[in-house]
Amino acid sequence: MSRALPKFRLLRPESVEQALDALRATPGARLCAGGTDLIVNMRRGLVAAETLVDLSGIGDLKTIGMDESGLRIGAGVTLRDLADHAGIALSYRAISQASRAVAGPSHREAATIGGNLCQDTRCLYYNQSHWWRKSTDFCLKYRGDICHVAPRGKRCRAAFCGDLAPALMVYGAQVDIAGPKGIRRIALTDLYREDGTDYLTLGRDEIVIAVIVPPTDAASVYDKIRVRGAIDFPLAGVAVACLTTPDGAKQISIAVTGTNSRPVGIDVPPLQDREDPKAYFAALGKRMQKGVSPQRTTTIAPHYRRLSVAALAMRLARSLI
Amino acid sequence: MNVRTAAGRAQPLVDGIEKVTGRARFTGDLETGNCLIGRILRSPVSHGRILRIDTAAAAALDGVVAIVTGADCALTFGVIPIAMNEYPMARDKVRYRGEPLAAVAAVDAATAEAALELIELEIEALPAVYTATEARAPDAEQLHEGKPGNLEREVHHEFGDVKAGFAQADLIHEQVFECAEVNHAQMEPHAALAEYDPERDRLTLHSVSQVPFYVHLTLARCLEMDSARIRVVKPFVGGGFGARTETLNFEIIAALLARAAGGKVMMRLSREENFLTHRGRPDTRVRMKIGLSKSGQITAVSCEAVMAGGAYAGYGLVTILYAGALLQGIYRVGAVKFDGYRVYTNTPPCGAMRGHGTVDVRHAFECVLDRMARDLGLDPFAVRRANLLEAPMFTDNGLMINSYGLGECLDKVEAASDWQARKGRMPLGRGLGMACSHYVSGAAKPVHWTGEPHAVVSMKLDFDGSVTVLTGASDIGQGSSTIVAIAAAEILSIHMDRIRVVSNDSVITPKDNGSYSSRVTFMVGNAAIEAARALREKLINAAAAKLEVAPEDITCEGESFFVEGSTQSALSFHEVAIAALAREGTITVKGTFTTPQKAQGGKHRGGAVGSTMGFSYAAQVVEVAVDAETGQIHVEKVWAALDCGFAINPLAVEGQIEGSVWMGLGQALSEETRYVEGLPAHANFLDYRFPTIVESPDIYVQIVETIDPLGPFGAKEAGEGALSGFPPALVNAVGDAIGLDANFLPLTPDRVLAALIKYQKAARKKEAVT
Repeated sequence: MSRALPKFRLLRPESVEQALDALRATPGARLCAGGTDLIVNMRRGLVAAETLVDLSGIGDLKTIGMDESGLRIGAGVTLRDLADHAGIALSYRAISQASRAVAGPSHREAATIGGNLCQDTRCLYYNQSHWWRKSTDFCLKYRGDICHVAPRGKRCRAAFCGDLAPALMVYGAQVDIAGPKGIRRIALTDLYREDGTDYLTLGRDEIVIAVIVPPTDAASVYDKIRVRGAIDFPLAGVAVACLTTPDGAKQISIAVTGTNSRPVGIDVPPLQDREDPKAYFAALGKRMQKGVSPQRTTTIAPHYRRLSVAALAMRLARSLI
Repeated sequence: MNVRTAAGRAQPLVDGIEKVTGRARFTGDLETGNCLIGRILRSPVSHGRILRIDTAAAAALDGVVAIVTGADCALTFGVIPIAMNEYPMARDKVRYRGEPLAAVAAVDAATAEAALELIELEIEALPAVYTATEARAPDAEQLHEGKPGNLEREVHHEFGDVKAGFAQADLIHEQVFECAEVNHAQMEPHAALAEYDPERDRLTLHSVSQVPFYVHLTLARCLEMDSARIRVVKPFVGGGFGARTETLNFEIIAALLARAAGGKVMMRLSREENFLTHRGRPDTRVRMKIGLSKSGQITAVSCEAVMAGGAYAGYGLVTILYAGALLQGIYRVGAVKFDGYRVYTNTPPCGAMRGHGTVDVRHAFECVLDRMARDLGLDPFAVRRANLLEAPMFTDNGLMINSYGLGECLDKVEAASDWQARKGRMPLGRGLGMACSHYVSGAAKPVHWTGEPHAVVSMKLDFDGSVTVLTGASDIGQGSSTIVAIAAAEILSIHMDRIRVVSNDSVITPKDNGSYSSRVTFMVGNAAIEAARALREKLINAAAAKLEVAPEDITCEGESFFVEGSTQSALSFHEVAIAALAREGTITVKGTFTTPQKAQGGKHRGGAVGSTMGFSYAAQVVEVAVDAETGQIHVEKVWAALDCGFAINPLAVEGQIEGSVWMGLGQALSEETRYVEGLPAHANFLDYRFPTIVESPDIYVQIVETIDPLGPFGAKEAGEGALSGFPPALVNAVGDAIGLDANFLPLTPDRVLAALIKYQKAARKKEAVT
């Protein structure tokens, strides 16, 4: 039951360049911002890093810019600041709601959007003490060679549980990534892959520095299924955006968190002007159920998460049209 | 008696300032220099034979000062003298994952943890049983010798002619309820600071105990020390709820380590280790059968309870006896049969938890009664009123009832919730439910029966005019020290700030039986009153001598002693104190309380459990909103009324009722332990989901006062009675909201949705047939 925080070296770069240099100079170093995910995992013996590169001293990462060209959120912006931003609440409601849905107020005070997007995947067999995991011979995600969730499977099924990713994905958000070769911009959805162990496409020498969200007229909403109204990670979180096209159709985009090893975008056809909404939403519910693959990564049954994610998506989509 | 000046007035807790300012020091805060850090090695398997524990490599690690294993203590411990079957560290066999095997004291935590990794274990795994059903299977592996069928204790009680009672009934329902295991989840994690003085062979233990006296006895036993060489201190404690009634293994281990190290050892348990130490409410399967007449009178009750109690006896036999005993004492119940089975399983031991033994049985009872009322076309309030008791009386199982305010509780919550106007007229998805409950005000017969008084309080009056109250009762946040201070202030007619309460240091304070079974207000309160009366008598005598009148002519009010009609010659409290001291020096007095023989229960085996001087009674109404698409339940409002006899401190009573409702809410909605082959999947506050402030409803509290003839100022208990009414009131409200009668706890959204789908299918089928 390892509880003493292991010893580590803390580097505090003042610029992204210094941070990149630090990563390059110390292989195995891990990035850290608010620490609400990483430090907890370190205490549980899940992270063996000897060096942490703390990004919280980099002022450039803490700004929010919003104008007619869209929204730019620095990766170091705290979830509290994000939740408090009046412009975002007005124009990008789902982002505002998602940031407010994370954990509790004290976590949001420290936690950052970059950290939330890169948050480690979670599993009943992984987020446990050293004694616990050792007692069950560890698991595929860390130090073991079997997945207790799907013992016959070859890959880790740990679930991605960040709240922000789906809310950003429904807007077609992109991320700026700084690396040794400069800055590259990719779609946020391409930051992830369906593998609980190796869930980020981010290189070890790269840093997510900003989130770019295009301007929009879409209405949006985020909510999540959880047992308690605070603290809990999403059993399933759903973001929906809805844009009315000139011909009166409703273009609906949906993204989900908590059900897979990555946040999942669900392909949904538009609701045409004269289409029967009842049939449309019934089909949407089916699509949702098919589009997600919750596993036994929490104590709450996967079947429930599949049913409730569909119910929630239908409800949220209905609220926007 | 005169108009009360202290008792009955809302008072902030006397130790509240330290807590809200952060100045309070809890056990885990007491670490000072030269303190070693203790860590425990725990079993990785659920059930097994210990072949070898090799500590040589760990002992050789730099910074390791002491290592102890099961070999260092061959004496069992346990709260019930006839059922002590647990070692502080396992010997020969381990019986649950997480059971202590060895412990290390080292210069720091990292070294201690590194040492644990170096201890070599060889354990031959045995088949494990995790549920009562598995444990009772004919071919199940036996946990303990001499306990076939893994049965720790079975209870079979029958009072009256049950067969005849059911024959008389117009309606009989029999239903089975599955109630999940829950944990206390007290805020402060377990901790103990043990200091051994090798020169004097003396041991001091600071710990989080609710009953330091038990810890004292257990340390003397397990360390084979003269109890006079041991001192036990209880600092500030952040919650108990029954978790800390029993002596816990880490307290003994800390002491063993300190002695082995010849120094001081701080043992702080992680939250996971708190869940492994457990002692919570067991997973319980209740089969409840009730017979009712058309007009709603109960003719007979038959109940079977099966508890999966974990790997050791602990409090088990008391828990299962409580479950049966408290079927009575709340309603007229006709004939009663109870069959209880407490079963061993390869999981952390269960124990006492707020509402000890009664909560799951009360849940089943109140749910079945509600459904039967519905079938008979009776209002849920009416069916309760049809079965009210009349005090004073004794129940068929020998429980003494001298005051009974359930009827008044019903009236209050019915009116406050506007029940008659709203029940049955709410939109789909919203509902109202109600239920009643009761609890003992202290067990009339203590576990360690020596014949001595049940409570002793000392008071000291000195030259400075201050009154020091000495009590061994553990204030664990419930406000017991405040009750003692109020009792002294009331009887002595002095201000609260003249009084200091010193508690829980075995070298200073009198022995107390501890904070369990809601005994402190009743027993310690009465003892405090008696002590204060003795002191008051001395003061009045001194005042009378000084004023040259007879003692009966002296009036004592507002820190002043005078003769009626001549207040100009009044003496101040301090003047009288000096006069009293002039006669005998520093004054110490003592008060005691002993439970009357007739309160000590029936003559049948186990009849002492459930016996008490008085019961609290509660009724509550719960309003819910149910989301039928996601299975999520939101509790909108709660109306609760409690008969606590007399509210010595209404502020604390209100807080206790809210706390009870809230803890019941947790058990009803979301709290449960879950084991994955014996490993806890819930051992943190993310996965053990007690309600947050978001789930907390508005709670409208009302206090009913029946002035119990034996209670201090008429008071009874207030801290547990309202808990067990909440889960059934919630389930009944869910039934009202969506028609679903849930026979399980907790009502997590996944369970509710699964049950709802089943229920809707059945309803459609029924519709198709008719």
